[in-house]
Amino acid sequence: MREGRLSGAVLIAGAVVVSLVLVGAYLAAGGSSYEPEKVQDPCQPREWSDPQNLGQIANQFTISALDGAACQLGVTRETLALALTTPERREQFEKRYGIDDEKLAKAIRAGLLRAVDDAEEAGALTPLIAGPLRQVLQRIPLDQAIEIINDAQGFLGNVEGFLGPAQGLLEQFLPGGLEGLGLP
Amino acid sequence: MPESPRPRVAALALAVGLVLADSSIVVLALPEIYRELDTSVSGVTWVLVSFNLVIALAAVPAALLARRVGPGRTAAVGLAVFAGAGLACGLADELSTLILARCLQALGGAAAVTASLELLPATVGSERRAATVWATAGATGAALGPALGGFLTELVSWQSVFLLQVPVALVAAVPIFAVARDEMATRVIEGELRQTGRPHLWANLALAMVSAAIAAALFLLVLLLIEGWRLSPIEAALVVSVMPLAAIAGSRLTDLVADPRSRAAAGAILVSGGLAGLAFLPKATIALTVPPQILVGVGLALVLSALTETALGGRAPQAIHGGWTISSRHAGVVIGLLVLTPIFTADIEQQRHDAINAGTAVILDSPVNPLLKIDLAEKVSERLDEEKGKVPTIGPAFEPKPSDPSQAAEVEQLQSELQDQLDRGATHAFSTSFILAALLGLIALFPIALSRRVDL
Repeated sequence: MREGRLSGAVLIAGAVVVSLVLVGAYLAAGGSSYEPEKVQDPCQPREWSDPQNLGQIANQFTISALDGAACQLGVTRETLALALTTPERREQFEKRYGIDDEKLAKAIRAGLLRAVDDAEEAGALTPLIAGPLRQVLQRIPLDQAIEIINDAQGFLGNVEGFLGPAQGLLEQFLPGGLEGLGLP
Repeated sequence: MPESPRPRVAALALAVGLVLADSSIVVLALPEIYRELDTSVSGVTWVLVSFNLVIALAAVPAALLARRVGPGRTAAVGLAVFAGAGLACGLADELSTLILARCLQALGGAAAVTASLELLPATVGSERRAATVWATAGATGAALGPALGGFLTELVSWQSVFLLQVPVALVAAVPIFAVARDEMATRVIEGELRQTGRPHLWANLALAMVSAAIAAALFLLVLLLIEGWRLSPIEAALVVSVMPLAAIAGSRLTDLVADPRSRAAAGAILVSGGLAGLAFLPKATIALTVPPQILVGVGLALVLSALTETALGGRAPQAIHGGWTISSRHAGVVIGLLVLTPIFTADIEQQRHDAINAGTAVILDSPVNPLLKIDLAEKVSERLDEEKGKVPTIGPAFEPKPSDPSQAAEVEQLQSELQDQLDRGATHAFSTSFILAALLGLIALFPIALSRRVDL
């Protein structure tokens, strides 16, 4: 047998130390948590930050609506958002989760209602406009509900037109019209 | 004047290097094969699994055949089959044809490698020297394989990886054909009679486990670099070359310690430590893969040489016992790939889903104009559809950038955050598999502890 200059125990101990140092250093640098961030449960309330303009209100309105609908459907807000981008993806989504148009419409309406509640609570919508809005949203068809989620800014910017007959009622109570009701 | 043995030794070493390089040379071509033949990750794994499985099954019978009909003839026919099957691999346009050709290639390869070990002692003068030449040729082939495979795949095509093997195999076969001709003429089959010892169970078992871990390291790292981090085959080849280079450097350590069991144990620990390092990468950065690769490389140099030395020590005929080591190593590769492939395939899908969710959350929560946000979400979803089942490249979804400088800056920030989520997903997808591979390396310590060298 050939002679070695190093004992076997030293070599093994060296291998153990080097391995532990490497793994320890990587763990200390965050190696165990380097993974995609977990998304928030859509059923949990999401705080509205102080809305400064229509764009920000629309942004938070959309997120609240997606949260509400996703919570009803038992999916994440993100999965639902991607599903609503094109009719093909919507179809795939419905197939994958065993959902039909009616169930999806019901969930999106519920989401829009939650968005109105959240907006009202955050002071972005006054109760006078939130009430009629809820009544209209409860009956809107699926495609229109999806349109509102996809273009909440357009929707909120033109809420007077959207309310239709309800607008006349509000005008009676508010001589100044809908301006100044809380929508910036 | 007697004929110089050098061309024959070179030919035998070339044959062994060529066959044993085959696993590693193909690894870098796999992502390209995966895309071009429109298959799945599990499907493309069989290009590697089939070759290793057939070698594992055929190595010992091939060694017995070499003893029976003559090592020269066996090696020559083996190389001819290897070359012919390599041509078929290069011309294959379906996965099933490619896998079938790979099986044939492995049959030829098993015959060539084991018969070469039988021919080498007579050519170089001693069994010990023959074992050294044989092991060095195999290690050199495995070392050059990844870089060569990456360059060929990117500069030419994945087919060229196989087609190039044809002339190389034929060049190696020429001097061996002369041996075969002599065997035919004299009807003398050298190197028979002395048979000592059963196969070394523990050393071969440890070889299988360590090989499973090492194969996983190379295979998983290549997939992570090319499919996860989107490196080109050449870039990935350069990155994974750290491992064989470290192995060459680490082979110097083998002379420092006499006891093969200690070398094997230290090697297995280093391989496991390196794999655990790859499992806990703290960022998707190439530089961070270097230290774990060095550990794996040095570890494999220590453990493979020590276990092969133990398995062959004092045993004869070398071809049969060499056949057992080849069989164990390739069986280990098969086990590693078969155990880990379904795990990381499922993990990739889960992490892809999580990364897309996290990326979409980044878009939804961003301060970008809501309409622009919807447009981005649509484009990102298009990318997901285009690259179904893979970690998508999201760059094109962010083009063209908005003309407003403040919005363009927000979009760039968004793109970087989204890419970060995808990188996290791609990297994390391999963690469980790397940990399991590390465990395989550690489990190998048990047979190593029982693998006392017994000179028979």
